Amino acid sequence: MGKKLSAAIALILATTLTACGSGGNNNNTNQAANTNANASTSANAGKTDTGENVTLRIAWWGSQPRHDYTLEVIKMYEAAHPNVKIEAEYANFDDYWKKLAPQAAASELPDIVQMDISYLSQYGSKGQLADLTPYLNNQINVADISENAISGGKVGDKLYGFNLGVNAVNFQYDPELLKKLGVDKPDDNWTWDDYFALASKAKEAGLYFDNGFRPEVFFGYYLRTKGQHLYNAEGTALGYEDDQLFVDFFKPLSQLVKDGDTPPPDVKAQIKGLEDDLLVKGQQVGIFQWTNQFVGIQQVANRPLEMAHMPGPDREKGLYLKPSMYFSVAQNSKHKESAADFINFFVNDVEANKLIKGDRGVPVSSKVIEAIKGTLEPAQQQVFDYVAWAQENSSQMDPPDPIGAAEIITLFASIAEQMDFQQISAEDAAKQFREEANAILAKNK
Amino acid sequence: MIAKKWRWSIYHIVAAGGAIVMIYPVIWLLMSSFKKSETIFTTSTQLIPAHWIWTNYSEGWQGIGGHTFGTYIYNTLVLVVLATIGAVLSSALVAFGFGRLNFRGKSFWFAIMMVTLMLPHDVTLVPQYILFSKIHWLNSIKPIVIPAYFGAPFFIFLMVQFIRTIPGELDEAATIDGCGKFRLFYRIILPLIIPAMATAAIFSFYWRWEDLMGPLLYLNKPSMYTVSMALKMYLDAETLSNWGAMFAMSIVSLLPVFAIFFFFQKHIVEGISTSGLK
Amino acid sequence: MRAVFKKDLAGYAFISPFVVGFLVFTFIPILASLYLSFTDYDLFTTPSWVGFDNYNDLFTHDKKFWQSLKVTFLYVFIGVPLRLFFALMVAMLLNTASKAVGLYRTLFYLPSIIGGSVAVSIMWRNLYGDKGIINGLLEAVGLDAVRWFADPIAALWMLITLSAWQFGSSMLIFLAGLKNIPVSLYEAAGVDGANGIHRFFKITVPMLTPIILFNAIMQTIGAFMTFVPAYIISKGTGGPLDGTLLYSLYLFRQGFQFFDMGTASAMAWIMLIIVAILTTVLFLSSKYWVHYESKEG
Repeated sequence: MGKKLSAAIALILATTLTACGSGGNNNNTNQAANTNANASTSANAGKTDTGENVTLRIAWWGSQPRHDYTLEVIKMYEAAHPNVKIEAEYANFDDYWKKLAPQAAASELPDIVQMDISYLSQYGSKGQLADLTPYLNNQINVADISENAISGGKVGDKLYGFNLGVNAVNFQYDPELLKKLGVDKPDDNWTWDDYFALASKAKEAGLYFDNGFRPEVFFGYYLRTKGQHLYNAEGTALGYEDDQLFVDFFKPLSQLVKDGDTPPPDVKAQIKGLEDDLLVKGQQVGIFQWTNQFVGIQQVANRPLEMAHMPGPDREKGLYLKPSMYFSVAQNSKHKESAADFINFFVNDVEANKLIKGDRGVPVSSKVIEAIKGTLEPAQQQVFDYVAWAQENSSQMDPPDPIGAAEIITLFASIAEQMDFQQISAEDAAKQFREEANAILAKNK
Repeated sequence: MIAKKWRWSIYHIVAAGGAIVMIYPVIWLLMSSFKKSETIFTTSTQLIPAHWIWTNYSEGWQGIGGHTFGTYIYNTLVLVVLATIGAVLSSALVAFGFGRLNFRGKSFWFAIMMVTLMLPHDVTLVPQYILFSKIHWLNSIKPIVIPAYFGAPFFIFLMVQFIRTIPGELDEAATIDGCGKFRLFYRIILPLIIPAMATAAIFSFYWRWEDLMGPLLYLNKPSMYTVSMALKMYLDAETLSNWGAMFAMSIVSLLPVFAIFFFFQKHIVEGISTSGLK
Repeated sequence: MRAVFKKDLAGYAFISPFVVGFLVFTFIPILASLYLSFTDYDLFTTPSWVGFDNYNDLFTHDKKFWQSLKVTFLYVFIGVPLRLFFALMVAMLLNTASKAVGLYRTLFYLPSIIGGSVAVSIMWRNLYGDKGIINGLLEAVGLDAVRWFADPIAALWMLITLSAWQFGSSMLIFLAGLKNIPVSLYEAAGVDGANGIHRFFKITVPMLTPIILFNAIMQTIGAFMTFVPAYIISKGTGGPLDGTLLYSLYLFRQGFQFFDMGTASAMAWIMLIIVAILTTVLFLSSKYWVHYESKEG
């Protein structure tokens, strides 16, 4: 103990000056200082993995079902690759990011990390993630994967994340409740005007129509239908010039809240989980959200739910397939090839995907989709079908969110809340959002 | 006599009434753990389950990825017991120094100690993580347990305050008897601050037991995960959550904390009273 | 001279665990955070020196910073006295020789064990729900129901009452303090014919003042750091309308969600200064109201 302690003190004194500064710049430079006790045996560093023993660390977020099947997939991979040992680290979404940031700061990221679109730029362009381009067609077989699906993980010309599956947004609803408003199903080509006309009947029927729109997602969609974008291509400012677009979108929405056709924020704040969601309890007709969320809400509601398209016009311009999540390889990984090989297995192996079943989005490999179709639950089948339709009826995704997106999303949610509480007019909100969002994005110049 | 009986009744009505208000949520938690997962929220105003089920406990106990909940409890116990012993004993030692001895720089070090309590951990977390990574302590319980052996400011301050309520004449008597400083500490002061040490032990145990940030940051392998980490595994904001299992295991994880409290609270009460000494 | 030195040696021998631990584990991170507060640091790249910019931006541009300060001050200055009051009253109630007292003590402490758990979050939201018990009581006495989740001040009350309800740790410390009061003092007073209230103010309170000081300081520091309850009420958004945007919540957001550790560090040091001033005031005032049996220190 005493010996260890004095050694520790000496080490600290020696590294005093670098202790804080080394947070970012040591990806490549002080590898030597970073020979990590737990990463693996250091014997194979810098060599290719074939035949040699390799230990990979992999981290993801999720809840119990995802943990369970992912561990199964890992076992399958280990059985096929006896020289590779994979150490799993998992947590729920919030905790995952709390852990990942210090790990990145200390260059201690796991070899494979699950990434979200809103963090991809942050981690990628700050040197934490490896460019996967060299591994395409080497370790990672992309023969059955569309170019579009792959480029969803690109920041600039670097591929920082490999797309594990895709989602689209749509309207998920209870047909029985919709009938109470006198409609069997929303028209395939319904417009925003149709939407507002229909939604404004909800209060009379003793229902809420939907629970509002996540501002950055759906305003982003709306802007795309108008040929505009939420962020400019460089990520240095907002991408739309005319605040009237903002007003056109949000003003009627806050009117719906005011009239009681959609729930006010305080009613939503009292919901504790999916189980007492207003839709599940039969108090709300539908919900606008991502397709991968359909399976969960269907399961909890335990009655038939349907999916309808987003309102238009120009839906095809607005709609896009979003990578649900990515696997990225850490820049500090010493086994990048092995990591890439595992990613290949995860996206291309049919047996593995019979366990994954689209939990991380509809698979990107056409071969996998074809092979696992027969094994899906009805709700999963609905999702796969919808995404297949969306593939043909959508446009290229915007680049991943710029650095600072997390701050803008929080800001946007706060401004939307103020509009829903009728504390601020849509016109003032538009101005405030532009001012503050541009201030955040200006740091990327 | 009648007045005494009245006082007795009123006392118990007040105390028991207050107790019920206080523990209602715990009872609710217990009852919910016997409900089906999907119905917990929809029947949240109804205390007694319509159908009693035990599967939440069996399902929850199975844990995640082949590690039963027993593994998590064992991991947590090891960590918590080691840290608590270290924190209580080292804090008592330091508290004696601050509370009873005079030396140059005492106020300075005391102020430093208070300052360490006032800086939010979020901003020292990353530098500290880097530090532990440089001395290769990551992925072990060392960063959580070992610092506990160097005194915990909260407990040090607590014990200092208790030591200062002990009459100083005792020391003088002991010093005249030829007691050294350490024997004074060990023979006279330590027995007198047992209530404070028991209090510190309860707090330390409970705080470590429920601490999420330390284990989350420093333990990577699922086989080393703690109870606080495991409880959050059942929940995820984006997908389905297993509330039933989470509630059932919350109840299970309360038991050790409960036991420790019950055991140590006696020492708060039965700590050697100073009455005989003065 | 040698005697003084020897005295120092004994003192440092006893406090050495803290001194060593501080120098090894805490000193560098604290120093680092001070340095980082003067830099632009995104966790992943090398910090760059920006002088007082972070502090300046917080004070002059950041409305949420001021909002979070306001929320936290209200939370601390209403919540802490309430919690201490309950803790002391219950500790007095439970400091008797009744047989059931061990059970009572456990029951009163239990809410503090379940702390920031999900169960508490759900309970509290039921309690204050639109059709919850609290609104039921309000209506029963002829008042209007409150939309607790719609009004920033009402929402803050949810946090404050939660903190008052979880008084267990202070209660336990008070109990331990009460046990440390020599019975002989009461016996002496009993002979003099002092009644209960008289004894409370003449013996119990003065003897308990060091513990009251401890609880006041620690609870104040703790309340400034409070973080978890905001998650319980608002799932971490700080809503409604930033009514529960506690300082620590905003700090965490800056550091780990916005990757602006420079600003987060600046916020931490601003808080340190505020809390240090309050603590110093409490310590200085203690000369006038805290009664120590031992004369040293």
